[in-house]
Parts: sequence; structure tokens; C-alpha cells
Amino acid sequence: ICEDAAGKLKSPFVKVEDRSRRYRPFYLQFPSFPLLNYCVPKPYSPFEVDKKYLSGQKQTQFKQRNKINSDKDCGTLVQLPPKDKKKRGYCECCGKKYEDLQAHLESEQHRNFAQSTHYKVVDDIISKFVSEFIEYKDDAKQIKRTKCST
Amino acid sequence: MEGVLKPSCDEQHPPQAADFQEKPEQNSKLSAGVKKDIEKLYEAVPQLMNVFEIKEKIGEGTFSSVYLATAQLQTGREEKLALKHLIPTSHPLRIAAELQCLMVAGGQDNVMGVKHCFRRNDHVVIVMPYLEHESFLDILNSLSFEEVREYMFNLFKALRRIHHFGIVHRDVKPSNFLYNRSLKEYALVDFGLAQGTPDTKIELLKAAHSEDQQGSCSQNDPTAASGREVSASVPAPKLAAQQAATKAAEKRPSSLSKTHFKQGRGGKEDSVQHSVPRSVFGERNFNICSSTYQENTSTKFIKQSKVMDVSSRRLITKKKIIPTKTASNRAARKAASGCPSNLLCDCYATDRVCSICLSRCQQVAPRAGTPGFRAPEVLTKCPTQTTAIDMWSAGIVFLSLLSGRYPFYKASDDLTALAQIMTVRGSSETIQAAKTFGKSVVCTQLVPAQNLRTLCEKLRGTTSSSQGSQGEAPGEAESGSADKPCPETLGKQLPLLSSSQEGDHALAIIAADPQGWDQVPDEAYDLLDKLLDLNPATRITATEALLHPFFKDMRP
Repeated sequence: ICEDAAGKLKSPFVKVEDRSRRYRPFYLQFPSFPLLNYCVPKPYSPFEVDKKYLSGQKQTQFKQRNKINSDKDCGTLVQLPPKDKKKRGYCECCGKKYEDLQAHLESEQHRNFAQSTHYKVVDDIISKFVSEFIEYKDDAKQIKRTKCST
Repeated sequence: MEGVLKPSCDEQHPPQAADFQEKPEQNSKLSAGVKKDIEKLYEAVPQLMNVFEIKEKIGEGTFSSVYLATAQLQTGREEKLALKHLIPTSHPLRIAAELQCLMVAGGQDNVMGVKHCFRRNDHVVIVMPYLEHESFLDILNSLSFEEVREYMFNLFKALRRIHHFGIVHRDVKPSNFLYNRSLKEYALVDFGLAQGTPDTKIELLKAAHSEDQQGSCSQNDPTAASGREVSASVPAPKLAAQQAATKAAEKRPSSLSKTHFKQGRGGKEDSVQHSVPRSVFGERNFNICSSTYQENTSTKFIKQSKVMDVSSRRLITKKKIIPTKTASNRAARKAASGCPSNLLCDCYATDRVCSICLSRCQQVAPRAGTPGFRAPEVLTKCPTQTTAIDMWSAGIVFLSLLSGRYPFYKASDDLTALAQIMTVRGSSETIQAAKTFGKSVVCTQLVPAQNLRTLCEKLRGTTSSSQGSQGEAPGEAESGSADKPCPETLGKQLPLLSSSQEGDHALAIIAADPQGWDQVPDEAYDLLDKLLDLNPATRITATEALLHPFFKDMRP
């Protein structure tokens, strides 16, 4: 399939265009049009293309396997991403994309924003809260907590 | 994702059983990674140290992580709380708007409230009540019909409330609607993607609405973008930079990271792909043109079907609110002048595209949310989107509950999602409705609308003893063009036997079902039909839904 080529679209396709005719149409040519497939077992989508449920891997087995994991270590993930994976994203404060979240947060531009008055709008709301919580000032508690997380 | 007890699976992944009885783990049992995260959170926001004991991490998404914590109340009682730590790249206005939604609309009618908020520099932590809740997928096929009725009723209560305040949630789905089955408690969470209606009562969601289409055709290098002026009107000089940002954002990565750290439900972790930003302010209100833009024509089925795009929402400063009308007129003029090609061609409503139509600006409309829950007007880039998009999403939730399938739609891009909707609601019906909101849709495949009762019963694998009074949809009965009949299915009313199921799932025989699934009333499918109305103008509202006969003995 040739992208962006002017000409006739290959069937099956869906094409959408604004009726003002002032914008670029967008379209999709399907290898095959979606089909309701009643044979897919519950609770999978009838549009499930992945045949994972046919591989003898029943969902009940998934459940079993994951139960072991979650019982043991609740709050942690079964499939942890490799730790070295940089978190890419977009910073709304700085208006730019970053490849590595931590590196960006430590950049001068972001640190300047973080310490700026832009957050007044948040602080104004925070000032409206009345705390129902007891605030501990004793170091004992802090030390204890710091210890837990080592 | 807020206030969860356990990690539970994402809708696209195999279920992770959440042992509901289990007590939160002690720190000693926490994984090293979670311990480190908790430690880092104390470090980032030291005030937390004096108030909360953070017990565990209960969710992580693209834009936030959620922790379970305890605190002592002044009254001496200990309380469990959900601490939502927002990604520090969130704009203060977005944070403030989310807080305002929680404060103004939250705390009643099944809308999550907020107790407190802590900030240190760019680190913001929202403190909310903690609600233990189920994993939707785990309980989907064990819910009784009555529980489904209560669930939907309570969802509409939450939606009625937020819609009353002019909040469009944009990401309504089971993982953002916490459900505690034994307590019968419910909470709609996560206003991180919310937008305001033109008359919203949430000050910080006020924005000149996205009717203001502006065209721009700058070919700037996306990396040069640094526009982050928060304003309702985008002054012409700003356009270039902002457009570049948009363009960068609009580019869909060809492969999506699947090593998405995910646990727990809800929140935006389900909705978004890492590399695509949420909207920056002002980005949404102009349309970009890029001759290099390519709509995906070589279909890639990407497993991870969570996509959010740049046009999620816009925030503006209070100072700069301008009347919507003015904005859109000005914008319309801009659009007319900004596009290189406003020429008409003969491709309109045909199977052709040419260099003329392909050189026009792309229309930009809000798309934030989760693909399988997006309404047709969102999928077709309708610039004016209303609270009706949330009602569509509620319809998709209802469809899952009635059919026992979750997620119901599974599409990695908007047009595949639209095609799947056609497969259920009919292609010509979808095309007709799209005309009413200004979209020409061409579809080569003629697929008939399904009878909703038949569809759900076939998918659930139960048979109904009460015959639906709504007749077969035209063409549905023997068409076979839209469904793929199963070899072992001998007749339309015969349940599908699924050997993979354990006893409490698929009921194999036509026996009286104590859970009421053999007596699903016509009202259920009538309401479903009104929620999945392809025309947003006539789609049922939350207020109307609560008065629907399906809920006849319940108090709105």
C-alpha cells in the first residue's frame, strides 16, 4: 500500500472528510474489514485478533499464574520494565519533548519553572484545604519511616 | 487511577487476580522498586513525612502514580487515603483544573472528592479518600443482572453530576469508575483529561472552545517548539511555534512501547501512549497542515491500543477568556487563510484522494481518552464535542456488562475503532449520523446493524427466555456478512460453549439463571441503544438515563 499517494483507495477502506471540504481527508485501507467473531471466548473482545486464547493458554491459567504473583508481592508488577528504560514524554511546563524524564526534571529550564510562581494557581487552591490530619513533628516517627524504606 | 486496593490488570492484559481480602503489605514485603518510589516521594514532598505513612504503591500511569497511605485524623481515628502523585511535567493549570473538578463536583453522587493537596516545587500530591475496589475484568462474568443495573444507575448519577457542572470527563471507562461490590460504593475518578463545556462552571476549564479552528502551515522544525503561552487566543506569531509542537505531537510513533509499567487500574495509564503529549494550552485550537503527514494506511495492529493525542484539552488563564463566538469567527477566518489549499476537488465522498485534498490542513479535534471508548464524533474529529461523548463511553461499559466482553472494542487506531462500531451499529447508520455532525464518511463495506439483544446474548453465551420485542434489525437475521458464525453454533439462540471457562462463567444450558441473565428485559437493550446513539445530538443524557424505565424502581 502506497502511503499518501493520490489516486484510488483500495477496498475495504473507510474515509472521513469534513463536510466543509476544507480539511485533509483521512482514511484507512484494511487488510480485512473488522468482523464480529463469536468464537472468541469470554471475556475477550469479539474483535480480538490476537489468538492468545487459542494457544491452550486459558484465561483461568493466567489467573492462576498471576494470583501467585500478586499474593506474594502485592503492589508490584509482574512484568517490570527494564529499569534502564528512559521515560520519554512531553513537558507541559517547558513546552518540549524529552527523552529521559529524570534528566529533564533536572534540567535548568525545568528547575526554573518548578521554582517559579506559575504554581500560584495551585497554591491558591491548596490554601483552601483544612487539614483533618494530625501532623507529627517528632523525629522518631520520621526515622522509623526512613528506615522502612531502605 | 485513584484509590485502589490491589493491582489489577489492565484491560488489554491477562487478569491479575486481586485477592480482595488481603491486607496491604508491610513495608518489609514491598518490592525494592516500590520501596524506592515511596522513599523518593517522601523526598520530593517532605511534608508528607509528618502526616502519612505510605504503605504501598497501588497504581502507576503515564501521568501519575497512586499510593495507599494512612494518616491519623484529629479525632484520633486512622484513615486510609489514596495519594496521587502527578508527573512533575504537568502544567500548573492542568493540576489546578483537576483539583477544581474534584473540589467542586467531587465528594458526592459517586464522584471522587479530594481531602488535601501537597506541593513542593513541581511535585504535587493529591490526597483522596481511599476506596477499595474490584477489578472489572475479574468480576465481569460473575455479576448478577441486578448488580449490573445498580452499577449503571450509579455511573449515571456520577455523570449527571459532572455534566451539571459542565465537565466532560473524556475518559469514562471501568478503570476510572471504582466499584466496591460488597459495600455497593462507587467513585468516578480522574479528571486529568477533563474539558469544560462552553458554559462550564469550573473556572479553570473555561476555554474558548475547539470550534476555533485555525489553520497553519508552518514547516518549522518541531524541535524548535517552545511555545507555552497560556492563552485562549493564539496570536499569529505564536502559531508557528505552537503548531510545530502540535505537529511533533501529532506524529504517531510507529511502534508503541509495550513495556508499559502498569498495575492497578484506571487513570491515564490506560489512555495514553508515552511519547505523545497531552495538549499544551492553545494547541488544540488550530489546525495544522503538514504535507508530510501520513494517515496510517498500512494497518499496523499494535497490541497496546492506548493512544492519546495532543488535542486533549486546553487550559487558559482566567484573565483571557474570550467569548466562544468571537474566537471561532476569528479562527475560522484564520483557517481560511492559513491553509495552502482550500481548493475543492472531485474526491469528496468518493474512493479517491488527490494532491489537492491531501495538501489541505489536517483538522484537529480533541481525541484524548481510550480508543475503544471513543464516540464516533471523536473518532471522526468532530471539533465540537459535548458531554454526550461520556454517555457513549457509558454505553460501551454497559455493552461490556451485557455481553461479558471487556474490552469490547479492540482497536489501535481511530478508524479501526470506527469500523468496529459500524460492525455493531451498521455502516449506513453510522454514515447517516456522521452527516449530522458535519462529516462525510465513505465505507466500502456494507455491514448491517446488529440486534443488540441477540448480539449480547450470543457473546455472553446465555439464552433469554423472554423474547425480545424489538424485532431483528433489518438484514441482521441471515446476512452473515458481519458475523463470523461459529462452527459449533447451530442456531442463533444457542449458547456458545466455551470449554475454557470454569463453572461460574459461561452457562452452558438453558436453565433458569439465578443471576437473572435469562430474563434481561427489553428496557436494558433499549437503554443501550439510546446510549450508543450514533448521533450525539439525540443521544440520551445522564439525567434522562436515570429516568429510563430500565431503572423504574430506583430513585434518581
